[in-house]
Amino acid sequence: MTRRFPFLQLDPQTRKKLRRFRSIRRGYVSFLILAAAVVLSLAAELLVDSRALAVRYEGRWYFPTYGRIYTGKEFGLDYAYEVNYRDLRTRFAAEPTGRNRIFLPPIPFNPLENCYPGETFRPRPPDWRTGHYLGTDQINRDILSRLVYGFRNALIFAGAFILLTYAVGISLGCLMGYFGGWFDLLVQRLIEIWSNIPFLFVVIIVASIVPASIGMNLGVLLVIVVLFSWTGMTYYMRSATYREKARDYVHAAQVLGASTPRIIFRHILPNVLSTIVTFIPFTIASSISALTALDFLGFGLPPPTPSWGELLRQGTSNLNSPWIVASAFSALVIVLLVVTFIGEAIREAFDPKKFTTYQ
Amino acid sequence: MPAFPSFRLSLAGCTLVLLVAGCGKTSAPATGTPGADSKVMEADLARTLKEQPDFYVFKTPADVPADLKWQDSADLPEFADPNAKKGGSFNYYITDFPRTLRTIGPDATGGIRQYLLDYTEPAFVLPHPNLPGAAYPGLVTAWAVGPDGKTLYYRIDPKARWSDGHPLTTDDVVFTLYFMRSPHLREPWYNDYYTRYYRQLIVFDPLTFATVHPDKKPDLAVRFGNFVPYPRHAYQDFGPDWLDRFQWREVPKLGPYQLYTKDVDKGRGVTLTRLKDWWAVDKRFFRGRFNPDRYHLEVIRDPDKAMESFARGDLDMFPLGQPKYWYEALSDQHPEVAAGRIQRFKFYNQTPQPDWGLWINRAKPILDHREVRLGIQHASNIALVCTQFFRGDATQMQTRSDGYGWRMHPTITARPFDPKRAREYFAQAGFTSQGPDGVLTNAAGQRLSFTITAFSQTMRDLLPILKEEALKAGLEYKLEILDRTTGWKKMQEKNHDIALAALSRSVELYPRYWEMYHGTNAYTDAYTKDGKLSPIATGAVPNPHPKEIAVQTNNMTMTFIPRLDLLIEAYDQAETLDEIKRLAAEIEEIIYEDAAWVNGWQRPFYRGGYWRYVKWPAGFNVAQSRDLEEFFVHWIDPEEKKEVEAARRSGRTYPATLQVFDQFKTP
Repeated sequence: MTRRFPFLQLDPQTRKKLRRFRSIRRGYVSFLILAAAVVLSLAAELLVDSRALAVRYEGRWYFPTYGRIYTGKEFGLDYAYEVNYRDLRTRFAAEPTGRNRIFLPPIPFNPLENCYPGETFRPRPPDWRTGHYLGTDQINRDILSRLVYGFRNALIFAGAFILLTYAVGISLGCLMGYFGGWFDLLVQRLIEIWSNIPFLFVVIIVASIVPASIGMNLGVLLVIVVLFSWTGMTYYMRSATYREKARDYVHAAQVLGASTPRIIFRHILPNVLSTIVTFIPFTIASSISALTALDFLGFGLPPPTPSWGELLRQGTSNLNSPWIVASAFSALVIVLLVVTFIGEAIREAFDPKKFTTYQ
Repeated sequence: MPAFPSFRLSLAGCTLVLLVAGCGKTSAPATGTPGADSKVMEADLARTLKEQPDFYVFKTPADVPADLKWQDSADLPEFADPNAKKGGSFNYYITDFPRTLRTIGPDATGGIRQYLLDYTEPAFVLPHPNLPGAAYPGLVTAWAVGPDGKTLYYRIDPKARWSDGHPLTTDDVVFTLYFMRSPHLREPWYNDYYTRYYRQLIVFDPLTFATVHPDKKPDLAVRFGNFVPYPRHAYQDFGPDWLDRFQWREVPKLGPYQLYTKDVDKGRGVTLTRLKDWWAVDKRFFRGRFNPDRYHLEVIRDPDKAMESFARGDLDMFPLGQPKYWYEALSDQHPEVAAGRIQRFKFYNQTPQPDWGLWINRAKPILDHREVRLGIQHASNIALVCTQFFRGDATQMQTRSDGYGWRMHPTITARPFDPKRAREYFAQAGFTSQGPDGVLTNAAGQRLSFTITAFSQTMRDLLPILKEEALKAGLEYKLEILDRTTGWKKMQEKNHDIALAALSRSVELYPRYWEMYHGTNAYTDAYTKDGKLSPIATGAVPNPHPKEIAVQTNNMTMTFIPRLDLLIEAYDQAETLDEIKRLAAEIEEIIYEDAAWVNGWQRPFYRGGYWRYVKWPAGFNVAQSRDLEEFFVHWIDPEEKKEVEAARRSGRTYPATLQVFDQFKTP
């Protein structure tokens, strides 16, 4: 296994670092919290959704969570659109036979639905009896549900963002460091020019001209943000590669006739990995804040996609309903704090100078 | 820790924004003086007069027909309070700093044009805002309609003066029509309007002139006499490059307020100053209007902040149209409202409303089926938006043209939201099976899915409601909210599926249809001959397969129905109000049957709040006002202002009342 993937091979040094990371309590606990949140958000439909987990109707079991919609007609109602499972629960509870049963997720609201049909659209404060633990927003959508799905969108965004920026940044940075000379000079100048294009303006312009056939979605937004964010990584990889290139093992590999990609990705890269690892948490933090900022300004994901930035925007324009802004703001602070604690711990664990203390 | 790249870059972006804004503030108005080519306009004007002798006609005072029936509306009531107190400083806000101080040319619309032109500059003849169809004299002492019904005669008020002391004469009128028709103006709409609807200018003497128009109209005087002249002596250097030079220039005005260059605080606000010796201060219909000495307009970009400023006393009044302000933020529970220091009012007006609605593009595949459009009509829950999003403040429009003072069609009403009926129509168009996501599909596998294009923050909250409701009928709406310019361009180029938009409508006696519904505004090759020409007049034949889409027109439903075109042309040439009404009903019926416009909402009133020391005439405002300030009938009571300020410190309260003015409410 390790022979086929030397990239994943954990040398004793790395194992030691991981042990140290685990011993830094605050960071490790934060890591566990974040990991749990990630796992739970990936299965959000089982916890927060208007679709039932399971329905037993007229002797047949239905599992609507994933898959097609079930219409009202299929449960003996007179409408052809998706059945309202909360109404179904009320109806089943009223039936004397008790043959029909329904199991709803703990928070039975999806992030897009009007939770108070027939009533005015206005923000409603948190209420334990109705199950809206964080209240509703200005068009009667459950805030907790929107936070959860907004978190998942932000995580997907952050994950894809890291993959893409690092892939581009690392490859180009390593190449620059490895080849050096005019190639290095040229690419550096290009990067300097590129990074002087004002990012926010470009996003605003692109967001307003993206043709409807494509539509502004997570993918398009990701491409735009990545286009302007890969440059930072190249600098670190370039200098790290410069340093490693002069080592004997690289020369040895060259003498043995290894190809350039092999030297870069199999010999040099594993040795500069610690640099990358320390960056990851901070990248997550800033990509989440970037997405939130863009959504807040209205240049992010199209409505009605749940997002934290959109909630913040609603909150700031409805200061009379403080629960909106408070929910979104607290969620953002908690996630960024947790990620920062993890980052700090990783940095400390991977620090070669063990006895330095950071203040 | 090194700064993360994307973050750093976005910060760089922000800094740049601030820098740009900062630069804007410090740079002085670059142009205030005429350029070196200061006589260029007169030469061009002289050449134009020579080239167009049929348009600019010069006659003698003896040529004025002797038997004209001059009108001055001396018998009509005034609408402001003649006892209004002059003086004081009024504080209000604008949402953006104007991009120019010009009132015409690119970028001039929006910004503060209403304060520099629409609200404050008197036109020759003005529509009486309480009596539809009636007029009152602005820059004239009297006007008359000629015996042909197409010529309008004007006698300029000899007292009329520009703010720099120059008298207003027919020289300015000649210049104004030259100016409006000049290609240098870079205003194609004005060029077209003053060419199409103004056929001749006849000058008799320095104070008497006439304009000739193509058709006899029942409201000729207010329709065409309602234009504002520009000062000839201040536009001596008007030419192809005038835009740059006039961007921030202070020009003489005929109205009561002047904006001096020293009062332009770039990026922050402007202050208008009332002319102490304004020529029309005691003129009938102007008495008691334009009262505050200083009118300060602060730039506050965010309406929520503006509302907070108002509640703090920094602004003297504030519109409370949005439900969240009226019912929550500044409800009768708010301390200042409860203490009676801020007064709230609701005023029912009588103006044509913007025609909010869903404009379905008939030129798009699937949407060209009438059944699909009928389905969309029944699948769009506008009534819900009215009652629950606008909290009953808005009502759904019944015809395309509500608010003109009479019902356009006796029986037509908006189609109700009804998912079952919508599904029946969709089934007739072949959309019979329902996909796994609840969206209908046809035999070819096409999904019943369309994009709604819109541009405004309110739409971000409103559109998801329509989307959720439409899914009940198996219809999917994708939402696209663009910035204003891009969104508008997309609709004008007919690239939208469905547009949620509105055209604002001026206060007129009867609606316009040509721009929105004539076939030549849908396709340039709608008729076999030149599309701009009337098919009736030229005998042009409808093209059964038009292809060339007419861009930059308001026919956003891409309606091309030859029968409708004939009616619209007859309507535009109709000479009596009865005929106009009869044709309007027929036109409305065809539009209704075609189902390409889903009736949106309108609000038959405006409402707001003002500090107690702001005073209004007895009936509050005029029937045809669209907002608080439009006719400038309000004033400030300086003594009461001091009193209210003292009351705020001492905590003294007044009786709190909600004032409802429904004397103009349409039953």
